[in-house]
Amino acid sequence: MSPAPDLSMFNRFMVTFRKGDIIFCEHEPGDTFYLIQAGRVQIVRIIGDIEKNIDILYPGEVFGEMAILEEAPRSATTIALDDVKALEFTRENFEVLMMGNPAIALKLLKLFIKRIYDQKRRFMILTLGDMEARVADVFLMLAENQSIDTSSVDSIDFKTNVDDMSHWAGITVAQTREALNHFVAQRRIELHPDRIVVKNINDFARFVNSRRKHQEK
Amino acid sequence: MSPKAVQYRANSIIFFKGDKSEWVYLLNSGKVSLNYVDVETGQEVHDLIKMGEFFGVKSGLGRYPREETSVVLQDSGVMAFTPAEFEQLAAKNTRIITKMLKVFSNQLRRIHRQVQTLLVSDAQENPETGLFKIGEYYLKNKRYGQALHAFKRYLVYYPSGSYAGDVTNKIVQAEEFVSRYGASGPAAASGRAAPAPAFDEPSGGPSGASAGAQAEAPRREKTAELSDTAQQYYNAVSLVSQEKFTDAFKAFKKILEAGGDQEYAAKAEFEMAKCLFHLKQYDTCVRSFSAIVQKFPKHPDLREALFFVARSYEEKGEAAKAGGLYKKITTMAGDDDPIVRRARKALKAMEGEKA
Repeated sequence: MSPAPDLSMFNRFMVTFRKGDIIFCEHEPGDTFYLIQAGRVQIVRIIGDIEKNIDILYPGEVFGEMAILEEAPRSATTIALDDVKALEFTRENFEVLMMGNPAIALKLLKLFIKRIYDQKRRFMILTLGDMEARVADVFLMLAENQSIDTSSVDSIDFKTNVDDMSHWAGITVAQTREALNHFVAQRRIELHPDRIVVKNINDFARFVNSRRKHQEK
Repeated sequence: MSPKAVQYRANSIIFFKGDKSEWVYLLNSGKVSLNYVDVETGQEVHDLIKMGEFFGVKSGLGRYPREETSVVLQDSGVMAFTPAEFEQLAAKNTRIITKMLKVFSNQLRRIHRQVQTLLVSDAQENPETGLFKIGEYYLKNKRYGQALHAFKRYLVYYPSGSYAGDVTNKIVQAEEFVSRYGASGPAAASGRAAPAPAFDEPSGGPSGASAGAQAEAPRREKTAELSDTAQQYYNAVSLVSQEKFTDAFKAFKKILEAGGDQEYAAKAEFEMAKCLFHLKQYDTCVRSFSAIVQKFPKHPDLREALFFVARSYEEKGEAAKAGGLYKKITTMAGDDDPIVRRARKALKAMEGEKA
């Protein structure tokens, strides 16, 4: 990981959080984004009765950046894992920051590229009409995110659960459970409390492709 | 290594959709088209690259398979950059990146909207309930500092929301636990298995909370003092949620007059003006909000302040003034802003009455 660039000229935008502090809550309206200078930040979502860890970010990383695009509610909760120092940016001071610091601008550019790709991938899942195809496609997406070459492996262990799958597939938890139960009955997957084993990921790839082709007609 | 100049003949292909390669290209001369199928419409799209424009940036820098096929329409000259070479060039010329950031942020906004429209509404949680549930989760798991944060944010956004009364009580509980065990709960505070308080135990109220704090080190007293103001504020908000506006007004006034914590004093002043509206004292309500807006022209709740002024005018029968203000509010934020939506609804209702 590249070291955090020297941003002392932006000190007036510096904010600090104590270990354990919530930086922002999911569902809160947001108009600021952050660049971590020191300490780690955990990103979580509360799904039902569990707090799911989405990611842990380190100095030099950016979070909350969707706020400069849309005044939409925050999509996750962020918590300071250590005492955290961060630069806080808004739409107003965003341009100043970009012009003055190409390293951050590049970082943000790459982040946008990743977000666009992720959203497009999600969109592809949501265009599938068949619920089971959507769930199967979520498995394919998870495999891609882990850079697993699906053509060279069969069985894959996914650290995921029904709530998570439902979120990505854009269908209710009950619909997701029904689809997963059907896959279990067909012996295509194994359901465990903390993980799901897909026995033949290529079989899912063929299934999703045929559904997509069928829809195009 | 430096970027290399490459010549392509008409009708040749620079890359195919699905190819994996890291090259980023800059068109110097000729004519190149990016061909792809639009995911939304299913239509084949041909995007012409302008001279001096980069292409293949997303797939090159992001190391994703190419999303388009690039077809050379006329003999063309391009510069091919490795990601490192591109970054070097961009670092010297920030304008290249800011320009791309604008393009990409537009693309991101567009795809984000497309995704949102496909999401079934029942899978989406209403933000008010969502925020409340986060507070509940942390309270249940004895992470009192985090519970307090979430609940307090709730009251900032939804001071008269449907959970406001409940939230106020839970803040009292959580604050008591924080003063007893620290923000991270009993286990973290003592390092041994401390008796875990049941979160549904009756709250000790403000006096209980400060008594607990006084038993500890003196530096805690300041926190207790601060939280007394917070306490008073949340009690007043609770009165609002019970629609006891006269009592709430008095309680907020007390906070304002005590002149303690500036943040709470300002919030109290705002809530007082809202109470005046509910008490049908429209002239005083308009005056109070005008004074607040004059004092804080960039007040974070400016739209809400204007909304109450507009409603006061409407109640007074000054439809033109009310309509003008509602219209102004609708220009101040996007359609996803709840106040904008309420202003739009009010406008529609006014038009309905006219017709």
